[in-house]
Amino acid sequence: MGRDKTLSSGTAPPDTLHTAGSSQDVLAWPWAATGEELKQRVQDVKVLAVGAGGIGCELLKTLVMSGFKHIEVVDLDTIETSNLNRQFLFRKRHVGKSKALVAAEAVKQMRPDIDITAYQGNVNESRFDVDFFRRFDCVLNGLDNLEARRHINRLCLAAEVPLVESGTAGYLGQVSVHIKGRTECFECQPKPTSKTFPVCTLRNTPDKPIHCVVWAKEMLFPLLFGAPEASDLHEAPPAGSGIDAAAVTRNIADDPSCYQRAEGESSTHFAERMFRHLYCTKINELRNMEDLWRSRRPPQALDLDALRMPAYGDGGDQPAAIEAGVPATASSACKELGLSDAHSVWNDQQNAAVFLRAVALFLDGRSHELGSAQFDKDDLLAVELVTAAANLRATCFGISRQSLFETKGMAGNIIHAIATTNAIVSGLIVVEAMKLLARSFASCQTSFLQVSGSKRLVSRMSAPEPSAACMVCSTAQARLVLNANKMSLQQLVDKVLKGRLALIAPSLWCGTFSYEEGEGLEEDEITRNRKLLLLPLAQLPGGGVVHNSILHVDDQEQCFKAQLIITHREDWDDEQHPEGFYLGGDLPPALTEPSVEAAISETASPNEDVVSLTSDDDGVAAEAAARPVAKRKAIEGNTDSSKRPRT
Amino acid sequence: MSEESPSAEVSPHSNAVSGETSMDKSKRYDRGIRVWGAHGQEALEAAKVCLLNAGPTGTEALKNLVLGGIHSFTIVDGAKVTPPDLGNNYLLTADGLGMPRAQCAAECLKELNESVSGSYVEETPRSLMTSSPEFFKPFTLVIATQLGETDAVTIDGICRQHGVKLVLLRSYGLLGYVRPSVPEMCVTESKPDNKVDDLRLSNPWPELAAHAAALDLSATQEHVHSHVPYALLLLKATKHWQEEHGGKLPSSYPERTAFKDLVNSWQRHVDGIPLDEENFTEAISNAHKVWAPPSVSSELQAVLDDPCAASITQQSPDFWVLVAALRRFIEQEGDGQLPLEGSIPDMHASTQQYLDLQRIYRAKADVDAAAVQAHTRALLEAAGRDPSAIPLPDIKHFCKHARSLRLVRCRSLEEETGPGSCRGSALRQALGQEDTAANAALYVLLRAADRFHQTYQRYPGTFDGEVEEDAALLKSQANALLAECGAAGGTVGGGGGVSDDLAAELCRCAAGELHVVAAVVGAVAAQEAIKIMTGQFVPLGGCLIYNAMACTTSVFAF
Repeated sequence: MGRDKTLSSGTAPPDTLHTAGSSQDVLAWPWAATGEELKQRVQDVKVLAVGAGGIGCELLKTLVMSGFKHIEVVDLDTIETSNLNRQFLFRKRHVGKSKALVAAEAVKQMRPDIDITAYQGNVNESRFDVDFFRRFDCVLNGLDNLEARRHINRLCLAAEVPLVESGTAGYLGQVSVHIKGRTECFECQPKPTSKTFPVCTLRNTPDKPIHCVVWAKEMLFPLLFGAPEASDLHEAPPAGSGIDAAAVTRNIADDPSCYQRAEGESSTHFAERMFRHLYCTKINELRNMEDLWRSRRPPQALDLDALRMPAYGDGGDQPAAIEAGVPATASSACKELGLSDAHSVWNDQQNAAVFLRAVALFLDGRSHELGSAQFDKDDLLAVELVTAAANLRATCFGISRQSLFETKGMAGNIIHAIATTNAIVSGLIVVEAMKLLARSFASCQTSFLQVSGSKRLVSRMSAPEPSAACMVCSTAQARLVLNANKMSLQQLVDKVLKGRLALIAPSLWCGTFSYEEGEGLEEDEITRNRKLLLLPLAQLPGGGVVHNSILHVDDQEQCFKAQLIITHREDWDDEQHPEGFYLGGDLPPALTEPSVEAAISETASPNEDVVSLTSDDDGVAAEAAARPVAKRKAIEGNTDSSKRPRT
Repeated sequence: MSEESPSAEVSPHSNAVSGETSMDKSKRYDRGIRVWGAHGQEALEAAKVCLLNAGPTGTEALKNLVLGGIHSFTIVDGAKVTPPDLGNNYLLTADGLGMPRAQCAAECLKELNESVSGSYVEETPRSLMTSSPEFFKPFTLVIATQLGETDAVTIDGICRQHGVKLVLLRSYGLLGYVRPSVPEMCVTESKPDNKVDDLRLSNPWPELAAHAAALDLSATQEHVHSHVPYALLLLKATKHWQEEHGGKLPSSYPERTAFKDLVNSWQRHVDGIPLDEENFTEAISNAHKVWAPPSVSSELQAVLDDPCAASITQQSPDFWVLVAALRRFIEQEGDGQLPLEGSIPDMHASTQQYLDLQRIYRAKADVDAAAVQAHTRALLEAAGRDPSAIPLPDIKHFCKHARSLRLVRCRSLEEETGPGSCRGSALRQALGQEDTAANAALYVLLRAADRFHQTYQRYPGTFDGEVEEDAALLKSQANALLAECGAAGGTVGGGGGVSDDLAAELCRCAAGELHVVAAVVGAVAAQEAIKIMTGQFVPLGGCLIYNAMACTTSVFAF
């Protein structure tokens, strides 16, 4: 580990410390520069803190208390009550205000002589471009999502500014240093992508609580209150997805208008109609599709009349609290119903009551949001509705029900976030920043914070060298496997380039075909793009993007350039590959023999073993909840593709 | 807080209300509850914490506990706010210059969380420890910061006498030190990283064996066949194997391969080609659970063998009563096994087959818990306590976590530092191992620095011009200390004892509280405090040294 060496070299006489080059690198950071020199550098440099959340608050405080004087901070978010258990620069009176602005003000009060600039904004915005990043000596990340982390990584590479990256989850934490050309970049190691579920499983054959929660949050909620096009509850399943697509389409495709409130229909009536539609009519339709239930327990419809809570009486009377005039703007159905314990699991009656009441409250009290409402984990009424709706569906399918607390964690992809871990990690970030300023690059390290250390709490490794195969920090080629006759340019752009590769304004070309996004396009270019987007890749101009085509991709707003080599697979199975493509640095081994079909599904999750701590701060991170696509093998078509419930 | 305690309440923030509603609280503490559960949060909300010294290290630690939602805190500090405080303690501002440091820190900390009440005592910890050791009695936990060794030994003695838990911590230049001190912490919820499945495949109880026997694989329809949970396949295969091998389990590599082949041979074939049924694939990849069932870990065995479990008296804590009952269960009904936990892992199976199997495991867990309950009642009765003093839900909770019970006993500071009782050989060993040598030496130097302070009334390296002389003096203190506790001869730097280089580095760092070190060790200490107060996870059994020069940590139980 070189510890003895670094420590013993501390006694070298001061005048030998400043000879340039590698001799400096072996010094432990505090001695690589004299105290005065380092102190001066700390005061002179300009640093960017990205994120003013759990890590950000601690980081800003530790920076100013350590003598940093020129700081800028970016954060898009506003302050929530659930931040207050760790984001200590914020008080209850700040709820709803900008994190960046409030945090900057708070640390300015600690050290009035500092120069701090706060931006409330998304780091993806074009004002935070390469020139913006070039102004900094060092960038310190305290982010909560993979997309932003990747974007910052690429900008730092382009601007050649060193980056200190961090993440926490519960008692676990990690800090790493990324210097272009010297250490690996954030994306040299593949990161897990978020878990996706086959639409058919969600819609027809759920067998786990998470399937019901995702159904309620992503399909039902937008259909009832949001933009219906955001839900695919009523869409036909994608072609080629299963055994009897035609039958599924016939039976399950839904008229979206039945989810709309009729003229003069009361909110209570609408809620009851929805209940009967979702948990009786639709369940019975599914039940009648016998093919689906050959090896599964068929779902059982619910009878609303049998599930009314005693307080509702027989004629659909409302609970006493509602009669007593609790205003319809009340924010919680549970409060009215006296279900105050977030950890208890409601029975069917209680779920039915919460469902009915939450739908009605939403319609009556939040009518201005209808048509555009989005699920938010901090929106209590939305969480109540999703909990009840998911639980009722779980009952139909014989799956165990979840408490509000558990459902909220699943629906919001909530990562455990506590003050102590964030504080330790922030301290470690500042130490790494000091090493960068002392130019003690060789002592830069990746630190891992563990739950309980019988020997040590923080373990370390020297920052690894860049990976030659990295698509971001070296110019590499990657293999993209898809069905070029089915995947449209739109899907390629949305799912692969923006979704997986996190590009913002991609340009691409292949032979004579080219496509460009971004600002400054002419009207006719936009019209042309719109037409191109609808075409399957194989039918694009200039011979199409087909098997063995090389697709050149870049993004002017980031440092990104790559070549994607297309492998076309006619029999690509959407049920096994909900994402619709495979992207990897190497060809999946089994694909060299095109006839071996099952092998594709085994290689379709290249990140299976990657343990990554990429969450932090707001306690939310989709990618940290990521699990590889479930291993599934086709045995007989798709009749066998699902499993049992967990209880 | 007792009536006559000399502490002063901090006036509540102007717009603070009497407390947050339970809804607000559950929102505020949501992320913490996801780590330590609602019962852990309740324990925190009942905890009364005392902080000694409100420097940056102390306030960093306490800040994290106030955010987490403790009941109340009291700060003991005798200093007034001076300009240097403003440089390293973010809680203090120029408005507070000349005011009691304890008061200023308490007021600012209270603002972080209106549900937490705060008070302060303007007195040095040393004088309070001397004049009224009883003062510390009402607290759940004391966080003692920046104390030299003598004061640390004193507060440790007081806390142990009153059953108050203690976490000591220090920032010393680029060196950090955290030392929990609890005489005994019995952890039921140690929350290990890896969960072990206890399936009893080679020794099923009668109901499980009958359930497996009742299934005739060859007579099942295809979709049932491909949805038999792998546990049942392995149970059947094990029984089959044992019948053919005189009751023995597969023990060699060829036997184990043959066992897997046996399972594989039961797969359905179509036109001579196996169907690759997923439940069979799972059975083969889980076959090791047949011949390598979970064993009793050495940590658990130490708990079971502890003298506290051997003789249960009226005063025995419930934990030890339950451990004694657990021992009896293992010896009697369990026939060497722990009570069954009752949950089963994810398996490829039909809903009905999975639920049936789960029911059988759960029923057995209930039977086992009932047996442990019977032992518990008998033990309580024999000790002269109410036999129903420990309710069944608590017993079930204990049984569920029986496999991961842990016990942490921290030595007292007096034992650790006393010439006759310190673990010189452990120290010598740590000094001689490459990965711990530097940090063990820093541990020695930190203690030597306290002796230096006792002799010269200042810490080494305080004055720039005297670094080299101080380093020599510090080194001789360190070597004297090593000799005294029988650890001389450790080979740091080759020559035995503590190297010149390290001594010089400690002097160059001097004793100041650097904010960045304070932030790290304050948070580490708060984390240990939370583990201790919630009784969850396993706290450090000794002291942690954080070396910010090399960016390493080590834990030592000397």
